[in-house]
Amino acid sequence: MEAVMTAPIQEKKITSDGIIGMVFVLATEAMFFAGLISAYIVNRAGVMVWPPAGQPRLPIEVTAVNTLVLLSSAFALYMFGRRVKSAAYIKIRSKGLLTAALLLGATFLAVQGTEWVKLVGYGLTTHSSLYGAFFYTLIGLHGAHVLVGLTILLYLFSSFRKPLPFGVLKSRIIACSMYWYFVVAIWPILYILVYLN
Amino acid sequence: MDATLHKQSFWSKYIFSTDHKVIGMQYAIMGIIMAGVGGFLAYVFRYNLAYPNASIPLFGHLSATQYNAFVTCHGMIMVFWVGMPVLLSALGNLLIPLMIGTDDMAFPTVNMLSFWIFFLSAVVLLASFFVPGGAFGGGWTMYPPFSAGGYVNHNPHFFTALFSGVSLMILAVALELVAMLMGGINFVVTTINKRTKGMTAFRVPIVVWFINIASVIFMFSVGPLVAGAFMLLFDNILGTGFYDPARGGDPMLWEHLFWFFGHPEVYVLLLPALGVLAEILPVFARKPLFGYKPIIYMALVSAVLSVLVWAHHQFVAGIDPRMATFFSIGTILISIPFAGIFLSFMATLWKGSIKFSVPMMWVLGFIGLFLIGGLTGLFLGSNTFDIYAHDTYFVVAHFHYTLFPDIFFGFFAAIYYWFPKFTGKSLNAGLGKLHFWLTFFAFNVTWFVLFFNGLAGQHRRINDYSDFSLIMREPYITFEKIATISAIILILSQFIFLYNLFTSLAKAKKGVKNPWESNTLEWVADSPPPHGNFQTYPVVYHGPYEYSLPGEGADFLPQNVQGKNDTNNVTQNNYEHKTATSFATHK
Ligand SMILES: [Cu+2]
Repeated sequence: MEAVMTAPIQEKKITSDGIIGMVFVLATEAMFFAGLISAYIVNRAGVMVWPPAGQPRLPIEVTAVNTLVLLSSAFALYMFGRRVKSAAYIKIRSKGLLTAALLLGATFLAVQGTEWVKLVGYGLTTHSSLYGAFFYTLIGLHGAHVLVGLTILLYLFSSFRKPLPFGVLKSRIIACSMYWYFVVAIWPILYILVYLN
Repeated sequence: MDATLHKQSFWSKYIFSTDHKVIGMQYAIMGIIMAGVGGFLAYVFRYNLAYPNASIPLFGHLSATQYNAFVTCHGMIMVFWVGMPVLLSALGNLLIPLMIGTDDMAFPTVNMLSFWIFFLSAVVLLASFFVPGGAFGGGWTMYPPFSAGGYVNHNPHFFTALFSGVSLMILAVALELVAMLMGGINFVVTTINKRTKGMTAFRVPIVVWFINIASVIFMFSVGPLVAGAFMLLFDNILGTGFYDPARGGDPMLWEHLFWFFGHPEVYVLLLPALGVLAEILPVFARKPLFGYKPIIYMALVSAVLSVLVWAHHQFVAGIDPRMATFFSIGTILISIPFAGIFLSFMATLWKGSIKFSVPMMWVLGFIGLFLIGGLTGLFLGSNTFDIYAHDTYFVVAHFHYTLFPDIFFGFFAAIYYWFPKFTGKSLNAGLGKLHFWLTFFAFNVTWFVLFFNGLAGQHRRINDYSDFSLIMREPYITFEKIATISAIILILSQFIFLYNLFTSLAKAKKGVKNPWESNTLEWVADSPPPHGNFQTYPVVYHGPYEYSLPGEGADFLPQNVQGKNDTNNVTQNNYEHKTATSFATHK
């Protein structure tokens, strides 16, 4: 039997499905962090002594350096996206900038992990105080997003194995990068609110 | 048909299908099953209210703890596992691709995952009945401190705490929200990007518009609830104390995060059902929908207002009186766009040649019941009356008068209307009418009397009124019994529907394409539509509600049929030439 189905003739697309989908994902994520951050601000406003007596101070300096690591990861990804001008680029040139973005993101997560281990050792836990509770919840949920972001970048990396039309490739790079930019952009806000407050 | 489609195994065709129609049906079936669970819970605790301490047929004795758990889970199930899947997911999946003239969703795999995450969430919720301590019983709003450990479920160990009724309920709700989110993103992207040629924004049927607006409201409001839910879960399993005032936490925080989602959720449930009404009314009044664009604008206005009124649920819990006035005004304002939408519906009926078909009866019943629900809502919107009526059966009757027609009348209207399209068979109209009248009367009797019990001060969270002399007197005792007997009749009437459903499914396929003589694109496809929906994609020439146009032959003009006034609409589009050539290359 001959296929009679034809490809859909559609109204003009605004942009790719993936990019529009990502816009809505990020809008939801932004509201998620807005909820978390406002909960933190409201509770924090009602407490006089912050951090509470007997609780360790947060590693401000190490985390400042780590913030730069995360920001440079986003910069590497941005440069990667700018350089991809054709599908051939990815085959011919190494994916060095994307690898760099991935490794810098992973470094950020690893440093966060080691700092957490130290903090738990100093007596800051989820149930030691509201201070600890908010720290681990806010920073931990951000860390979970970093992990998801790294997975998305890995997916982007692996999708270069199959030959794809350049348009598809380009919009996939944009959609995946959007998530990573979001994860990176939310971090300085958390750093200022949680570490420097 | 594509030859590869015939090779699909049973599993990929009916279980792990990526076809939007199969996923829509899966959602509908899960919704019906969960409605059975929610209905059974309602039967048990209503029986207990009328006959305290009696042995309940098919159940036995109901303890106070069980009563609390049953009421809580009844509310949870009806909102999150019946209303959301049938109105948003089932209707969205079944209708959107067909009505905008495309083959499937933008992300079919995400769509399949969405259903299976939803399925998992239902399993987790039902499993919570069987853990030590039973399902959570602190009310469907899960207010701390009841939900935050300590009082009801004090479990010092991580895994004991994780497998407690409250933690499982939080997890189940979180999974359900993720599933709905995946579906919602699919709906919006599909509608933005996959409309067929000529299907401009203002030719899209209202139900598609409304499901999309509902999805956007959902996406905007769900984030803070998920954030709050994480904090509530951590309070239970990690001992964080976010909501525990003794440790510096704030229980009011949860109420804000919950109702920031909880109130818009009402419109997430309402809008798809109103969309169903907007599709069915013009078909059986044989008239164009009155005010197509104003209806869309009013829905958009209500969407914006919906996220500004949440604290009207907290007038008693305690908010600044100046803020209470702000939220009162917002709440009463939001009734204006909805009144506008209902007036447009009434105007559509005006001087129409109304056919009292089964779907139309559910639609008219919906409007009648919702009027009572909406009017009592106006009373409650005023914080002065709300403080008096708070947590009484007046409130309970009010929201059942809105949510019951919304979820069930909306869903039944949709089923009786679209059943021939998705099965190629037809439901028995006589049984459908019997089902309608029994449901309509039993529902009214059940809930109307409870308004009076509520005004007399009957509180909604007490399982046994034996010691309350103000309630344990006539006529309120009799009202309790009338409500219970009538609720049982209401539940039993649904078996007529199930009988109708199964006997009709057993009949042979007739495959009538357009039994109601409607205009929208789903009626252009075969009944049932094959995988991929259309043989050739339809081209749209005009809006969806062109009924009884003067000068046309028939009294309806499908969207893909060029009418006398449509001659220039499509050919003027500048992409006409381009798509015509791409059409040729695909052949
Ligand atoms: Cu509300």
